[in-house]
Amino acid sequence: MQLQLPGIGEWMAAFFTLCIFSFLYRDNVLYRLAESIFAGVSFGYYIGLARLNTLEPNLFRPLFSDFAGHWPLLIPFALGLILYLRYVPKAAWISNWALAIYIGYYIGVNLIQRLHGEVLPQAKGTMLSLQVPPGQLLGNLVIILGVLTVLIYFFFSSPQRGPLKPAARIGVYYLMISFGASFGYTVMGRISLLIGRLTFVIHEWARPLVRAVFGG
Amino acid sequence: MKLARKLLLIDRRIIFLLVLAGAVIPILFPIGLAVQVSPPVRAVFQRVEALRPGQTLLLSFDYGPSDGPELDPMADAILRHCHKRGVKVVGLSLFPLGGVDMAFARLRQLATELGARDGEDWVNLGYKDGGQAAMKAMGDNLALVFPVDANGVPVGEIPLMRAVRNYNDVGLAVSLATSVLGEWWINLVNAQFGVDVAVGTTAVSAPKYYAFMEAKQAVGVIGGMKGASEYEELVAEAYPDLAGLSRTATVGMDVQSIVHLVILFFILFGNAMFLATRRTRQEA
Repeated sequence: MQLQLPGIGEWMAAFFTLCIFSFLYRDNVLYRLAESIFAGVSFGYYIGLARLNTLEPNLFRPLFSDFAGHWPLLIPFALGLILYLRYVPKAAWISNWALAIYIGYYIGVNLIQRLHGEVLPQAKGTMLSLQVPPGQLLGNLVIILGVLTVLIYFFFSSPQRGPLKPAARIGVYYLMISFGASFGYTVMGRISLLIGRLTFVIHEWARPLVRAVFGG
Repeated sequence: MKLARKLLLIDRRIIFLLVLAGAVIPILFPIGLAVQVSPPVRAVFQRVEALRPGQTLLLSFDYGPSDGPELDPMADAILRHCHKRGVKVVGLSLFPLGGVDMAFARLRQLATELGARDGEDWVNLGYKDGGQAAMKAMGDNLALVFPVDANGVPVGEIPLMRAVRNYNDVGLAVSLATSVLGEWWINLVNAQFGVDVAVGTTAVSAPKYYAFMEAKQAVGVIGGMKGASEYEELVAEAYPDLAGLSRTATVGMDVQSIVHLVILFFILFGNAMFLATRRTRQEA
């Protein structure tokens, strides 16, 4: 049986992984090299991706194949080009037109999206019935109490005195539990990344390398 | 107390080394700890299980290589599940840094493992800029946003796409998401087009998605590597012939458990030493 060394891709990925891990010992030139190459490659990748996946199929190909049917595409194309007039000092103000349309569109989309898709359904989700079986009642009470007390904590228009003070205090406990859960999940997520890299280094680079060199 | 003070000043690199050991040993020698399935993951599984053979699942690969360890196993498990159910998969990506390649990698893995056919059982429509604008336009006509698939084949020539015009022809949309894209699938696509949406997300993002599930805006949530291992478990239970395939999240959870124990030990140990030295300082 012929044993193969890891390929050039595996060698590069393992090298850059170890370069990034070297930061755990201390900041060094290999870490900075890997970081800079990653930033450059990411930017280059994004440009190529936008050209191949968006500009060519959605703009250039329709324009060249059927100009009469697709000429309105020239309008967003022109608006996109106008954005680059920011680099021409005397004409930089024209780029604001494209920017204004872009911002206007996304404000409109976001406003409806957040209100209709998030604020209203989430508010509705907290309006829970108390006429439910005991097991579900406890859960509903916890949610209702949490929403009210956290809202009281974030109500800054009046001093938190009298009955508002203990309610705000309970709100703080809710927030602390929420932050704790988020932090626990964050730790788990970061360890998952470590597992992913170590699994790659061990199974796809080190193990084949050891087998190819020492056999077995 | 001198010892406690010395231990409090322990070089953090020693802790890194112990965490590394805690991670490497279970990778080399898997333990096979049991996986307990949680209701949010079971809800996603049951929703996919309820799809009829021939129905379409829209799978949006909204993540890049850095989230692969958590989201790749979810993609593999969902794709295997769909293939066994005869559910067609339309893959796409709205995440720029690697989404389209993650989609190709997972879909080709499915083709290699189970013989799923490109264009008939699955299709990769590729990546599109625009996020919300693309999501809204897909509600009218998918082919307007994706006139060709990721290989450059016009969607009109792809057998699978002949039955899929817009969201009305989709049984379930699943976003495997990092960043805000998963939220958009819920608060835009589900809210405005009424499509059932499930989200598989990184552990960091998972807590906020449970609120969407509680409000019945998402059918379920698969959170991080733990969620992925649960879905792997459910698929293996329901389809024993798939149990032998690689289950990277389940193996990963062995490592998670050991590393969490190491971290817990150091949190308790550090606090105990801190309290011990503080008491000595107060007495002095």
